[in-house]
Amino acid sequence: MEVKTVKDAFDRVAKKQKLSCSKTQETVDRLSREIEKALNAIQEPTTDTDNPLLHKSLVSDLKKTVQEIAPSNQLEAAHKELNVALSKYPKVLEKTLNSDISKAYRNVEFDLHTVHQIIASFFYGQGLFDIGDCFISETGEPESSARESFMEMYLILKALKRRDLGPALNWAASNSDKLEQANSDLEMKLHSLHFLKIAQDKKSLDAVNYARKHIPIYSDRGLQKLMCSLLWNGNLDKSPYAGFLSPTLWTKAVKELTRQYCNLLGESPESPLSVTVAAGSQALPPLLKYMNLMVNKKQEWQTMEQLPIPVELSEEFQFHSVFVCPVTKEQSREDNPPMRLCCGHVLCKQSINRMSKNGSKSFKCPYCPSDIDASQCRQLYF
Amino acid sequence: MEIDPVTNGNADAIMTESAPTITPPTTTPVPSSRLSQLTESLKLEHQLLRVPFEHYKKTIRTNHRFFEKEVSSVVSGVGDLADSDWSRDDTVARLSSLVSRLQGLKRKLEEGSNVENLQAQRCRARIDHLESADVENLTEWNNTKLKRILDLVDIDIFREAKKVIDALKNREVASALTWCADNKTRLKKSKSKFEFQLRLQEFIELVRAESYNQAILYGRKHVAPWGATHMKELQHVVATLAFKSTTECTKYKGLFELRQWDVLVHQFKQEFCKLYGMTMEPLLNIYLQAGLSALKTPYGFEEGCTKEDPLSQESFRKLALPLPYSKQHHSKLVCYISKELMDTENPPQVLPNGYVYSTKALKEMAEKNEGKVTCPRTGLVCNYTDLVKAYIS
Ligand SMILES: [Zn+2]
Repeated sequence: MEVKTVKDAFDRVAKKQKLSCSKTQETVDRLSREIEKALNAIQEPTTDTDNPLLHKSLVSDLKKTVQEIAPSNQLEAAHKELNVALSKYPKVLEKTLNSDISKAYRNVEFDLHTVHQIIASFFYGQGLFDIGDCFISETGEPESSARESFMEMYLILKALKRRDLGPALNWAASNSDKLEQANSDLEMKLHSLHFLKIAQDKKSLDAVNYARKHIPIYSDRGLQKLMCSLLWNGNLDKSPYAGFLSPTLWTKAVKELTRQYCNLLGESPESPLSVTVAAGSQALPPLLKYMNLMVNKKQEWQTMEQLPIPVELSEEFQFHSVFVCPVTKEQSREDNPPMRLCCGHVLCKQSINRMSKNGSKSFKCPYCPSDIDASQCRQLYF
Repeated sequence: MEIDPVTNGNADAIMTESAPTITPPTTTPVPSSRLSQLTESLKLEHQLLRVPFEHYKKTIRTNHRFFEKEVSSVVSGVGDLADSDWSRDDTVARLSSLVSRLQGLKRKLEEGSNVENLQAQRCRARIDHLESADVENLTEWNNTKLKRILDLVDIDIFREAKKVIDALKNREVASALTWCADNKTRLKKSKSKFEFQLRLQEFIELVRAESYNQAILYGRKHVAPWGATHMKELQHVVATLAFKSTTECTKYKGLFELRQWDVLVHQFKQEFCKLYGMTMEPLLNIYLQAGLSALKTPYGFEEGCTKEDPLSQESFRKLALPLPYSKQHHSKLVCYISKELMDTENPPQVLPNGYVYSTKALKEMAEKNEGKVTCPRTGLVCNYTDLVKAYIS
């Protein structure tokens, strides 16, 4: 993996930097030692009367010693190696990484106000209300409506993370119908957690009463297991039901609540900004590759209506069905819909019209030996 | 009564009614396409590594220059001392001052190397951050990435730039010139003529103020040295001496326009970004553009588009409007009911009315409703056995 190349190159720089530092330190130490030595020798009281010019000869000895040490050369030598590493590293970066990701940038100004709104909703959606508020006031944007709706959710989630189920249960109870419609068993999950909490406080009887009241009969199996777990109450960790103590039950409940809350709010649980930027991370490499190959296409890039190359995003970004006719390689449109031949193969309408001479004759399916009558082909809706 | 063995691993299974007795933790192998995709997107992180490195490099260079100067001046101090005729006491005093100078230098050395080490750690931490990305924690990693794109992690570097930009907007070149001096060697290496342009602007300002003598003096000192490489531009600007700032002569009118200062700001940004290996456009915009284009389909703009698609949101639609649509070479079918991909594992099935859903979703529906399925978009009810297959290549 490329990161290792980069890391090695950087470690070389850091090593040389430390080396250069200690070399410099050493040189300075040595220089100062020599000067101090000379100074002490000159200050030596006994030498005072014997030779009045002794200090002169000591200083010229010092000069000689210093010249021999050649501190400047020492420093230079240490720095030279560091310099080599310093100029090499950016080259390694440029080689292993994309040095200019703006090459695939179309020169359009984004509406700043829109971008600010998107960023603010992102912060609110992440529960980062302080940062969101700060951002709003710094950019002078009007207050976002997203704030209030996310606030309630985060209060519920905050309580839930403290293992306080009250607000979550209240919300689930008042949206019970909608949750059922969405096929969610969130309410049941929350009640089960509450049951376990009561049981863990060693109040088995209370737990039984709670279950009777709140956990519906249709969740028979779930109920069985909850009740059985009471037999091990107090040492659940050594029982077949140790899983009931797992914190993942709580994190899953948090996730499910987020999902359902956003769903009812008409928002996506995934921040649209995160989704777009993540899609951008996948799309940029092929686009940059294309731009590097097609240097003279920069002009076209600014005006084209469709990306010049297919960009394969991974499954989580696939929100819509796309049908590409295997014959014309064109994406289906309203006026050129996908049609199912009686053999089961699917082509676009244009292809069928062409092969059947506008329905005047039957033709052979390009993918199997079947004879196809154009009037028997049926439009598909994905 | 049967007791299901329960382990920590599938605690969640207990919570759902239709839970299978035991689900062994399945680790599906990571498809190689995902890995290479990750590797490719890590390659986008040049700026993340480059910017702190340039900072680090600058510190090293500045420190080195300083120590070199100090040490060589101590060395020549010793030399001077030996070559002149000082008394013993003077010699002692001078040597002592050299000693204390070196003492101070040692302290500075320590501080300097501490700063360098801290900056090295910062560079290294970012490399580690890249290395920590893997397919398993990608969602989390991407989230961190987005936060750092929004956060301007290298904020102190931007502060440095802002000072110069603000000054240029006030029509002062001093701090821009200081910046040029600080980065002289590197600007020279990249053949930058930014300093020349600053000098020309100052010259023009002197002409505007009708201080012709000063303009000539200034020109001789600061503009003329650029003659060797930029003679034509130089001549053009110096010729303004013959004109007033109100000139209508089209060839020179433009030089006096205040807009020239904006040009300088733009050029500074360019030079600055180049020096630190940064992109001119905000990273967020680059990623947003690429992402929006890759996600942009005609369906995203339709009524009732799924909320999961960012383009279902008005604000994202607005940004995507001037951008190109994505392009697909292969069919990709997503089940309307389960939102799962319809492929050979989960092939599409066609209702008598032509509506297509995934086998899994239809089967599940049929099992719950005595073999009947209901089309969620048209309300048509039919038997599961009435469905036909469709082959999409
Ligand atoms: Zn066929």
